[in-house]
Amino acid sequence: MGIEGKIVEDIVKRFGDKVRAEVQRERRVKFYTDPINIKPLLYYLKEKGFIHLSSISCVDWIKENQFELVYHLWSYEDKVHLMVKTRISRENPEMETMIPVFPVAETYEREIYEMFGVNFPDNPNLKPLFLEDWDGPPPMRKDFDTRVYVREKYGMIDLTEILRQGMDKIKGVRDEDEIL
Amino acid sequence: MGLFKFAQSRSLWMMHFCTGCGAVEMPPTMTSRFDMERFGIAPMATPRQADILLITGYLTVKTLKRVIRSYEQMPDPKYVIGFGSCTLNGGMYWDSYNTIKRLDLYLPVDIYINGCMPRPEAIIEAFVKLREIIAKGEANGWKKYKENIKWYKENQAKVFDVKKWSVIKWE
Repeated sequence: MGIEGKIVEDIVKRFGDKVRAEVQRERRVKFYTDPINIKPLLYYLKEKGFIHLSSISCVDWIKENQFELVYHLWSYEDKVHLMVKTRISRENPEMETMIPVFPVAETYEREIYEMFGVNFPDNPNLKPLFLEDWDGPPPMRKDFDTRVYVREKYGMIDLTEILRQGMDKIKGVRDEDEIL
Repeated sequence: MGLFKFAQSRSLWMMHFCTGCGAVEMPPTMTSRFDMERFGIAPMATPRQADILLITGYLTVKTLKRVIRSYEQMPDPKYVIGFGSCTLNGGMYWDSYNTIKRLDLYLPVDIYINGCMPRPEAIIEAFVKLREIIAKGEANGWKKYKENIKWYKENQAKVFDVKKWSVIKWE
């Protein structure tokens, strides 16, 4: 049993069936849990040496009507990358902030708020991060249609449409040739 | 050819607004291998002393505001060169939600260099062409900007708050 197995055993002993663990491969471990367990789990993992929250990512599972939040943790001692995954509803998405555990979470949560519209009520600094003068819906959501937005806002030149017209013209010429 | 036009076409200070990946083509153009100073063109760090505004790639909305502010600070006559396909039609960012697609909706572009990326030879060719049209008196982008200021400002207002970001007055 490698270091990954020890980490999983430790977590299962502590949290029981609240957390489901999966060893993806060497040095990659995934944990699945409910949103309510994230904070105690992160506190515990931080004590165990996973002191670096390298990112929080968000995945839009539109068919299941859920957002998945992934907390990426790294231990400098064990050299293991942990992914702590949880799912929240897509309707009025809200998640507890992780600033008390990892202060760096403030910026990651700000980004997720801007790009996916997930709200973090306790985060004191949820102002726009990258986008200025943004007037559309959160752009990284799967149901945001970039082409419709771009065509209206920037006067996009629709190259596929132009190509299709060109192809139709060529096709028309060929058809006439055949008739002749 | 008038003396002024002759002199203008042979002493051009270029402000290169390095957005995107096009900036990487500028060092070889400026330095000894391609050496654009042969044509009397030299880099300038500030807009208030520059004649050419060279935009080297895609422009996000955030950058476009700064570009327009820089352009409006430049003294007349001033020329804009759009560099690479990103300034023409968005290039590989043609359906991106935060980059503009056509630079000439927002600024009067005198010369476009197409390609992704244009080589330093293409940049030099654009400078030579620009010199020709300045000498002929055809590089009138800055006059067009003044004449059609309302149209330009309307287009700019679609993507950002023009009142906050403009240096000149137009109403």
